[in-house]
Formats: sequence, C-alpha cells, structure tokens
Amino acid sequence: MTLEPGLLENVAVLIPLLPFAAFAVILAGSTYGDRFDLPATAFAIASVTASLLLSLVLLAELYTHPEIPTPFTAAEATWTAGGAAPELTFGLMVDPLSAVMAVIVTLVATLVLVFSLYYMNGEDESGLPRYYASMTLFTGSMLAFVFSDNLLMAFFFFELIGLCSYILIGFWYQTPSAASAAKKAFLVTRFGDYFFLVGVAFAFAAFGTLSFHGDTSLFTAAEAAIDAGDTVLGVDASTAVTLVALLVLGGVIGKSAQFPLHTWLPDAMEGPTPVSALIHAATMVAAGVYLVARTFELYALSPTAMLVVAYVGGFTALFAATMALVMDDIKQVLAYSTISQYGYMMLALGAGGYTAAVFHLANHAFFKALLFLGAGSVIIALHHKQDMWEMGGLRSRMPVTYWTFLAGALALAGIAPFSGFWSKDEALLAALTNAANEPLLLAPLALGVLAVPVTAFYTMRMHALTFHGEARSEAAEEAEEGGWPVYLPLGVLGALAVVSGFANAAPLGVKELSGFLGASDLYGYAATHLGYADAFTVNYALLVVALALAFAGAIAGYLLYRDADEPLKRRFDPVTEALERRYYLDGAQTRFAEDGVLEGSRWVNRFDVDVVDGLVDAVSTTALQSGDALRRVQTGVVRDYAAVIAFSVVVLALLVGLLGGWI
Amino acid sequence: MVELGFQQADLLPLAPEIAILGSALLILLIDSFSRGKHGKAAVAIAAASVAAAFAASLALYGTTAEAFGGTFVVDGFSLFFNVAILLVTALVVVSSLDYLEEFYPEGADELTEYVVLLLFATAGMMLMASSRSLVTAFIALELAALPSYALVAFAKRNRASIEGGMKYFVLGALSSAFLLYGISLVYGATGAFDFVAIADAIAAGDVEPGVLSLGSLLVLFGLAFKVAAVPFHVWAPDAYTGAPTTIAAFVSSASKIAGFVLLFRLFTTAFPAEVDWVYAAIVLSVVTMTYGNFAAAVQDSVKRMLAYSSIAHAGYALIAVAVFSAEATGDSAFALGAGMSHLLVYGLMNTGAFLVVALVDDYYGAGYTFEDYAGLGRKMPAVGLAMAVFMLSLAGLPTGGGFVSKLVLFAGAVNSGFWWLALLGGVNSALSLYYYTRVLKWMWVEEAPEDQVELDRKPLALYASILFAAVATVALLFAFAPVIETATAAAEALLE
Repeated sequence: MTLEPGLLENVAVLIPLLPFAAFAVILAGSTYGDRFDLPATAFAIASVTASLLLSLVLLAELYTHPEIPTPFTAAEATWTAGGAAPELTFGLMVDPLSAVMAVIVTLVATLVLVFSLYYMNGEDESGLPRYYASMTLFTGSMLAFVFSDNLLMAFFFFELIGLCSYILIGFWYQTPSAASAAKKAFLVTRFGDYFFLVGVAFAFAAFGTLSFHGDTSLFTAAEAAIDAGDTVLGVDASTAVTLVALLVLGGVIGKSAQFPLHTWLPDAMEGPTPVSALIHAATMVAAGVYLVARTFELYALSPTAMLVVAYVGGFTALFAATMALVMDDIKQVLAYSTISQYGYMMLALGAGGYTAAVFHLANHAFFKALLFLGAGSVIIALHHKQDMWEMGGLRSRMPVTYWTFLAGALALAGIAPFSGFWSKDEALLAALTNAANEPLLLAPLALGVLAVPVTAFYTMRMHALTFHGEARSEAAEEAEEGGWPVYLPLGVLGALAVVSGFANAAPLGVKELSGFLGASDLYGYAATHLGYADAFTVNYALLVVALALAFAGAIAGYLLYRDADEPLKRRFDPVTEALERRYYLDGAQTRFAEDGVLEGSRWVNRFDVDVVDGLVDAVSTTALQSGDALRRVQTGVVRDYAAVIAFSVVVLALLVGLLGGWI
Repeated sequence: MVELGFQQADLLPLAPEIAILGSALLILLIDSFSRGKHGKAAVAIAAASVAAAFAASLALYGTTAEAFGGTFVVDGFSLFFNVAILLVTALVVVSSLDYLEEFYPEGADELTEYVVLLLFATAGMMLMASSRSLVTAFIALELAALPSYALVAFAKRNRASIEGGMKYFVLGALSSAFLLYGISLVYGATGAFDFVAIADAIAAGDVEPGVLSLGSLLVLFGLAFKVAAVPFHVWAPDAYTGAPTTIAAFVSSASKIAGFVLLFRLFTTAFPAEVDWVYAAIVLSVVTMTYGNFAAAVQDSVKRMLAYSSIAHAGYALIAVAVFSAEATGDSAFALGAGMSHLLVYGLMNTGAFLVVALVDDYYGAGYTFEDYAGLGRKMPAVGLAMAVFMLSLAGLPTGGGFVSKLVLFAGAVNSGFWWLALLGGVNSALSLYYYTRVLKWMWVEEAPEDQVELDRKPLALYASILFAAVATVALLFAFAPVIETATAAAEALLE
C-alpha cells in the first residue's frame, strides 16, 4: 500500500487529535450525567481504535517504505517568533521511534478501554463520562508527547500526562486513600518535573534551540558547542550538556518511578485497575524512558549523564524487585515489577543499548498491560479482593485468565521464548559489551543480572498464589470469568507476550526492530562520543546464565508457593521486615515531609504568624486596637492621617537629601 | 515672555475636554431652568459627550499641538490617557443609572448633580494629562479633586460616605499644600513653570540643587497622594469604602490614572534623574506594592480588599518611573510605555471589579464580606465569570490584559537594570493571588446559604458595564500589541 504524498502527514496529525476530540465531546456531553455513559464509552473506544488503525497505517508505511525520509515534521505551529522574542514552535515529528511508540500506546489504550467495559461499566461505576474523558485525554496527551518535536512541547504534554494520572488515580476521590495517592503521585512527579523545567530553560538559554531534529536541533547545537570548546552560561559546553541531561533526568526519574522518586507508584494502585494498566504499560511511566530514548543523542554527549542513567536503572531494577518479593497485594507486586522493569530500560539506555530499551519498552507494555488486565479480571471475579492470600485455585475457574496471565508471567520472568526474555537479554548484553569500554558499567550490570532470578521468583510466586493450590476464600471458590471484553484484550495481549519478542530476537539473527529504528547510526554516534561499542554481538554465555537464573528463580517461586496456605516470609525476619516496609523509604520520605518539611514549615509559619501577620495586622487593622506604632497608621482619625503624611514627607525628604548629598 | 491671550487654533486640540465641560454646563443649565428632574437625560447627555470626547481623542491621534502659550500640550501621551480616563468614566456614568436609583433613592433626584460632578472631575483629569505647566497642572488637579471630594460624600445620609469624603477633602487640602509649596520651590530655583523650561534651566546649571530637589520631592509627594501611594494613601481605604461604590471605582481608577499622567509627564520631562527624586520613587514603589498587598490580604470586606489592591497597583505603576534614568532613553521609554499600558488595563479591570461589588453589595444588598459572595458565581454566571476575569487579571494571570501589562512592566524594569524591583513585583503578584482567588473561591466553590437575598432584578446598565469591562479586559490579552506599541511610541516622543 502506498499513500499519496501529504496523506501520511494527515494520518500522523489525526493520531493524537482524535482522542483529544473525543475528550472534548465527552466533556461537553458529561453535563447529561449518567445518561451519557454509553455515548462516552462509545466515543472513547471509537476514537482510540481509530487512532490505533491510523498508527498501524503509519508504522506499515514507514516500514515498507524505508525511502521515506525520516524524521519529518507532520505539522508545525509557531508559538512565538520574530523580533526580540525567542522562536518557539510546536510540531509533530514522525520517525520510526514515534511510530512504534504510537502503536504501543494506542494498542494498549484500546484494549484497556475495551476491558473497562467489564471493569467499569460492568460494575455500574458512577462517573463514567469523567472516566472516559480522562482516559482519552490521557491517551491524547501521551500521543502528543510521543510526537513532540521539541523539548518544550514535550514538557507541556509531560505535565498534561501528570495531570491526567492525578485525575485517574484519584478517580474514586471519595476514598481518602485514593485521594491521598493521587496527591502523592502528583507531588512526587512534580518534584522531578521542576528539574525538567529548569533543564528546558537551561538548554534553551545555553544552546538557543530545543528542537529534536533538523540542522538546528538541540543535539547538533550541543555537539557543535562541545567540538568548538565553547563556554555557555559560564561553564564549558560539555558541563552544560551534562547539566541539561541530568536536569531532564529529574523529570524522567519522577515519571518513570525510578529510585528515589518511585514511592508514588505503588500508592497509585488506588486507581481503577485499567488505569493502572494504562499508566504502567503505555502512558505515564513509559513517558520517562521514552524521553531519554528521544533525547538519546543528548545523553550520548555526556559520559557522566549516561553513567547516572545506567546506575539509577540498574539499582532500581534490583531494589524494586526485592520489594516485590514480599507484597501480598497482587497489584502491589505488579507495581514494584513495573519500577524494576523500567530500571532495566534505563540500564539499557545508559549502557548505550538504544534498541534494547525501546524493545523492552514495547514488550513490557504488552505483557504488563496483560498482567494488569489479568489481575483486574481476578479482582472483579473476587469482588474487589486484591490480597493474594485470599485467592488460590483459580486455575480451573478462570481458564482464559490463567493461560494468558501465565504467558505474561513467563514474559516478565524472562523465560524463553516469551517476549521479556529477548529484550532483557539485550539490555544486559548492552551493559556487558560496553563494560569492556567503560568498566564503571560493571556495577549496574551486576545489579541487573542479580535482579533476574528475583524477578522470576516473585513473578511465579504471584502466579502460583493466585491460580494454584486451594481456594483460600469463599469468593475464590465462586469466582467467575467475564465475557468478551475480558477475553479479547487478554487474548490479544497474551498472543503478543508470546510473539512480540521475535521482532528483534538477536540470538536467532532477527534484528528487524533495530534495523527499522536505525539504531546502528546511534550506536556509531555513541561510539564517537563515548567510546562505546558501535555494534552488539550476541554473547551466548550471558544468554545461558540469564536464562538459567530465570529458570532457577521461577521454579523456586513456583514450588515454594504452589501449595502454600500461609505466608512463608515470616521465616526470614529482619530482611522481610525491611522489604515489607519498603526499605523504610516511604517512611523516611514521610518523616522527611513531617519532621523536616513540616517542621520547617511550622518554623516558617511561626515567622509568618509572628512577623508577617504581625506586620500585616499592624498595617491593616483600623482603630480596633492600639499597640505598636504601625498599628496606629489606619486609626480612622483624620489628624493621625495628616500626621502620617507630614511625618513621611520629612523622613523621605531627609532620606533622599542624604542620598543625594544636598543636606 | 509668554504671550497671553489665545486664538481659535488653541481650542481645536482641546476638543475632548471642551466636549466634556460643555455638556456639564449644558446639564447644569437644563437643571436650573426646568421644573422637573432630568436625571436620565443628564446621563444620556453625559454618555454622549463621553463618546464624543472619546471619538475626538481617537481622531486627534497623531497630532501634536500646543495651546495657550504652551501651557497645554496635546500629544500621543495625553491622548492615550484621555482614552483610559474616558473608558472608566463611561463605565461609571452608565452603571450609575441603575446604581443610584436603587441604592440611594434619595440621591436619584440629584442624579444631575452627580453626573455634572463626574463630568467636571473627568475634564479636570483630562486637563491634567495635557498640562505642561505647573500652574495649569495644579488648577487641573484641583478641578479633578474638588468634585471628587463631593462625590465621595454623595450619599449624604450615610455616615461612612460623609466621613470618607471629609477625610479625603482634609488630607487632599494638606497634600495640595505640599504640592503648592513644592511648586513654589521649583519656581524659585528655576524661574519657570513650564516643564520644558524647567528642564532647560536645570540643564543650563546655576540652580540651587537643594531647593530644586526638595521642591521636586514635595511635588512628587503631592502627586503620590493623588495616586494613593504608601504612605500617602491613608485616606484611600476609608474614602473608597465609604464612597458610593461607583464613585470608589471612579476615584480608584480614573483619579489614579490622572495622577500618574501628571507624574509621568512632569518627572520625565522637567526633572532629570540627577535631581534625586528617583530614590523617593523607588522607595514609594516598593513600599506601596508591598503594603497594599499585605493589607489587602487580611481584609474581610471585598470592597476594602479592592481598595488596598488598588493601592498595590499604584506600586506596580510606580515602577515605570522608579526605573527612569536620563541616560538609557530606549529602555526608559519602554518601561514608561509599559506603565501607561498597565494603567489602561488596570482602569478597566479595577472599575469592573468595583462595579461587581456595586451590584452584589449595594444593589442586591447581599453583604460586604467575602462570605456574602458564597455561591453567587453559579447564580449569576455572567457576573461570576466577569469577576473571575477581573480578579485573575488583577493578579496577573492570563485571563486578561493584566497579565501582559504586568509582564511588560516587569520586563521594562529588568531591561533598565532593576531586576530586583521586577522580582519584588513578581513576589507581590504571587501574594496577591491569595486574596483575589479568595473572592472566586466564595463565588464559585462555596455553596450559597439558604437565606441568601433574592437576585431576581436585572439592572441592565450595571450588567452591561460589567460585561463590557470584562470583554475589554479579555480582548486586551489578545490585542495588547497595538496598545503597548502606541504607548511606547508616545513615551518615546515624550522623552525626546
């Protein structure tokens, strides 16, 4: 199929536009209240499905016609330009990366919305128009973010994504814990976004451009400045690039829930499960890693920034995985696994494994959406029970959920040939290969390898506890599976968990994704600037070790928990304690907030009450009280006013006279 | 020697002022020679004359003319401010129709007097914009002030109104004394009344610097009273609160604008920055915006909050002259233009906000505290939206021209090297968000109490004025470029 020239641009523009349009329609229609439930659902699903089809067309076009020059700008609008004003534009940038990401986002969003028919509509939730409006806005924002052609526009939609997550996590806002989780997500990610915003401003001030492509892109400007040895804003260019990269990374760490800003994500489980699926698989959390991939050429200019990315990723991968070991709530396990998996992507990016990161992002999107929807199916079947110790024995009662969940679990555990295996292996391979050039990468690599068996263990523990053994509650004995809104998404995602890994199964010689993304250019770029390897060759030893570790972890997890009827973890105390308390980090952050910030705020408040308010009261209260001199100002007595004026005239005249030297 | 006497050619450039004065006299004549009261006719005549003056000001744009031996000058600068003042007057005149009938039934009979006073004050303010001599400036200022005193005390049976008017009058007289004393010192030092002649005399040297500086300072303080800058603001909260709300809108907007015109013209043409008044301007600006905001934040009454908010805005506008320096003409012109634009926008949004108070507090009698505004936004969505526009625009958020005008004002300060003054202004604006949004919180978020007054009557003229002010405020957000360009061009011409 070949499209007319110009048509491709229109396709790209429509992809983010349709969900936004649906959002507007649903918002307008929501004044009709509950009567608008059905139209809202229909508009949401129709718009996102249409976006999915268009994304597929776009991807197919780019794939079958490598001669189409990419990246190209599908649409551009000028925000400010001319005269002394800096030129800021909004543009949609189409390239293989954004095309792949658009398909991931729209596919997951479509399936999640279909699943919502079961999870939300089927449960007669109220506020459905609000739900679907936020979901379409969420999807539209993410798509606009994906197609953003400059850092500022990316920031705008990054923020909009954050807002949508706030609305959706707090969907059941009357539940105090949900409202509090929404606030936490908003505040924690906002904390990271401050750095991002400063980074945007800094980048613009330093290099005069924020564009992602073209001759005047941020990357070429930064590269030229480094090559020329320029000094920008008082520091040399390479330091400036490192600063920009690290500042932007602040936003990434917040959104992608990396250590130490990961604490919002487990709490975010308070939102409806389809929302969790969307947040974890395709939108919010993915946005952070996608941003690093998008600006890979910037990071590759700074060895320091790359190492920071790799360390954050490697550490988070293991750190979050260990916490997943002891969680009893099925969604909590999935939450920590998300944090851990995005750690792998960060590790891959920091180690120069561009393809590995994008590949894992895609695979993870599918299998994590699958796991969340599977969990959602179980949760509804058990009437909103989420504790795995109240599940068990669901295998026979929920066969579709069981088999698809198993596919997702094996993909997450990294068992061949399921999708996660291939991409996780590539991430580790990138770290191993470049550790030869950059020995400092050995530590993150070790962390990443250690996380493999841990991941497999908690995954199979979750699977065994949920589906195997005896039913441990009445609800579990009577669980029933939903209809096609459950089967369709689970089926599609289950199939993808099995096959999506073959898009770039390097050990089998398949490098389709890598070739399509044009990754070899980026590897060359990284080789020039960082001394990284310019190609990755399969390392079978690593492959075997990783697979063996995964098997060991998976089998151990399965066997230990297959017939477990009481928590085993009590056996290993202080460690479990530390894990259950989430390494005391949540507590530490709360304490920091309570003892540090709150105490500081109290102090400021005392200052405010005693000094500022005192002053304010003094100057604003009329003749109510007499006391200090300031309070006498507004007495309401006209001769006092005259005295104030006369006195001020004298004081000011003296002051100016002394300053001017004529007294 | 200044040639006395005038020719017909002198009158044409003053057509806007003459239209206003003429109609005021016409209304007086009708009132004297007819049996009944013709309040509505008076309002109609006044509105027509304001429209005519407005049209004349626009038509004159681009011309520069001197009249009466150079004591008056009509230029882009004066015409810009004519437009700003006339906009406020128009809003006040039209809304008074409903307001007086309802709130001061006894005053409705005296609508003619009310309108005549309003027109005289307006003419005085416009003449202030055109004055280029200390003598004419003083006369114009008094012409604006005396009717204002009477207007503040217009609700004769209301103690607060009389008290406010009384205070305004006494303190006005005091500050006029300072002003006159300053004028005499300046005349003593330079031997001239004409602004340009004063500047020439200073440039020629041979001027006693202490006498001149003290004179210019006293003049500055006299004008600081007019614009209600701290610490010369003491009259303002009482006068604004006591006055009929339409008059509070008029005095806090038009009168303040007029004070600034004179201040801008006098201090940028007559006195070079070496005369040290700049120090005083900086102090006044800082103290005024800070004090105004802090005091506004603790008020219980919306009207009194607006009174302090208008004081704070005088502080922002003072930035335009505080950053003045003789050397950097380009930047000073931009800062001055920014100050002019801010005053234009301020006139609209401040008047609009006061008119909303006039509607809620006085017309409907809902009450004066923040609590009394509970739920009104949903009951009167148009007024609620308009109030949201005014409040947020006053705070400097992009719901109206207040955002851009404040932005260029601060940008002007930064360009002139006074980044810290801009920073202070920014911090103050952030502070002000607290009390501005408080109104909106009560109007839109809180539920209306059961026993709230009925809002069944629809005062057409008051509504129209409020909505016009709101639409114009929003429009200025998008059409700000021509305003700032015109203002900057006028400022450049003035500074040459």
